[in-house]
Amino acid sequence: MSEISMNTAMESGVEGAAAQPQLRGVHAVRMEAVYKHYGDFTALNEVDLKVAKGEKIVICGPSGSGKSTLIRCINHIEKHDEGLIYVNGTELDRQRTNIDAVRRDTGMVFQSFNLFPHMTTLENCILAPMTVNGMAKAEAKELAMHFLTKVRIPDQAEKFPGQLSGGQQQRVAIARALCMRPKIMLFDEPTSALDPEMVKEVLETMKKLAEEGMTMLCVTHEMGFAREVADRIVFMNEGKVVEQAVPEEFFSHPKSERARAFLDQIIH
Amino acid sequence: MSHFSPTAAVNYFFNYFLMKGVLVTIGLTVAAVIGGLILGMGIALMRMSSSPVLSGASRFYIWFFRGTPLLIQLVVIYSGLPQLGIKFSVITCALVGLILNEAAYLAEIVRSGFMAVSAGQREAAWALSLSPWTTFRRVTLPQAFRLMIPPLGNSINSLLKATSLASVISVEELMRRSDMLMQEHFQILEVYAAATAYYLILTSVWDAVQRRLEKHFGRSSAAKSRRVAARAPVAQASVEARA
Repeated sequence: MSEISMNTAMESGVEGAAAQPQLRGVHAVRMEAVYKHYGDFTALNEVDLKVAKGEKIVICGPSGSGKSTLIRCINHIEKHDEGLIYVNGTELDRQRTNIDAVRRDTGMVFQSFNLFPHMTTLENCILAPMTVNGMAKAEAKELAMHFLTKVRIPDQAEKFPGQLSGGQQQRVAIARALCMRPKIMLFDEPTSALDPEMVKEVLETMKKLAEEGMTMLCVTHEMGFAREVADRIVFMNEGKVVEQAVPEEFFSHPKSERARAFLDQIIH
Repeated sequence: MSHFSPTAAVNYFFNYFLMKGVLVTIGLTVAAVIGGLILGMGIALMRMSSSPVLSGASRFYIWFFRGTPLLIQLVVIYSGLPQLGIKFSVITCALVGLILNEAAYLAEIVRSGFMAVSAGQREAAWALSLSPWTTFRRVTLPQAFRLMIPPLGNSINSLLKATSLASVISVEELMRRSDMLMQEHFQILEVYAAATAYYLILTSVWDAVQRRLEKHFGRSSAAKSRRVAARAPVAQASVEARA
């Protein structure tokens, strides 16, 4: 089922779930026998993963299972020790140009937002388009306002991150990543640091993005979101991908004992 | 002569000879801060580098210059090095000593500033494809600098007073010229009262400068928002209420 992909319909009205499944030659992400060690600890243990273009993947599992490490290896924020990682056909082989190419194709949203605190919302959004893509300031501002409107906070453009709520900050972080027009969005527990009442606004933003056909990999404990949005759930334990299934199957008939125990713990 | 003469103290305060010493003190301080910051930044970058040779050399440097008195460093540079055929002018000796010493302290301040910027900031910059230079200049440096200002201020305050040690190697700064006046007239309290007043004025001026710097670089969350709020009609009411 990992071979099934959706049309990448950025910005168009095509709904991901309704889009015609089709086979594609180049995967958005392909990992083959990837290992990552921290000293004696094996964070990723022979991980194989294929993500088709337009696919929405939710990665879940107990803490320390390697979920974050996995998506942080995709844009080379962590360096994998062994194995192959291809992003849109480009191999992450430690060549600077390839790493740069992969980072231009991917956007990342962090658990702790990581907005630049000394810049306004707008400045956060225009920094990369201007310095990396050489965009003129006026154009970059227009682009930033487009995405800030999309995440529904255009009125906070002149505020500093410290003046925003957590949910607003995370939506700015999403807008900031989108300003670089990524083809793949990586979410590393985007709602884990939020107050409960702010989780929804961030998930709604992510859902909207999913509906537009963005390829997404999300590490999250939000099982409601997983059930609704994910094309596939990837369950990890002790650095290994233990189980992959469509949400329905994963939630109602988990194959592994470990996944069953995990679901018992988190679904009340 | 068993009394203190305020008039004499005031006269010393306005003594042209002493004033020129004040200028030398200021000059030494400013030059040592600039030189120390440049060298200190380099040493801090070496210390933070992944190369064990560079970081080891940097650690040795910091260990050595923070572990020995500035007075010995100055005397060795002024009187000791000529024994090896290395000779500088008096003022150069003082500057070399002050810069080498100050750099060791500033390196640690610079390093602590950069280390206090969370790793997430750098990761966010990488994820956005920012170049290492842009990441340094636009993301880490401004945040690190803001954190450096308070300890930097302390260090510069110490340095300002430490320039008086240069008097020992005959640099005619404020302390040395006070000594000279004192030996000429034996009005010990009066001369040093004038010198003390100058040191207090200089450190106070620096305190004021430091406060302005802190305010300027700390503006991101507090001051600027007030300006923005004042411009936005919606927020007007709350601003006025506070005022």
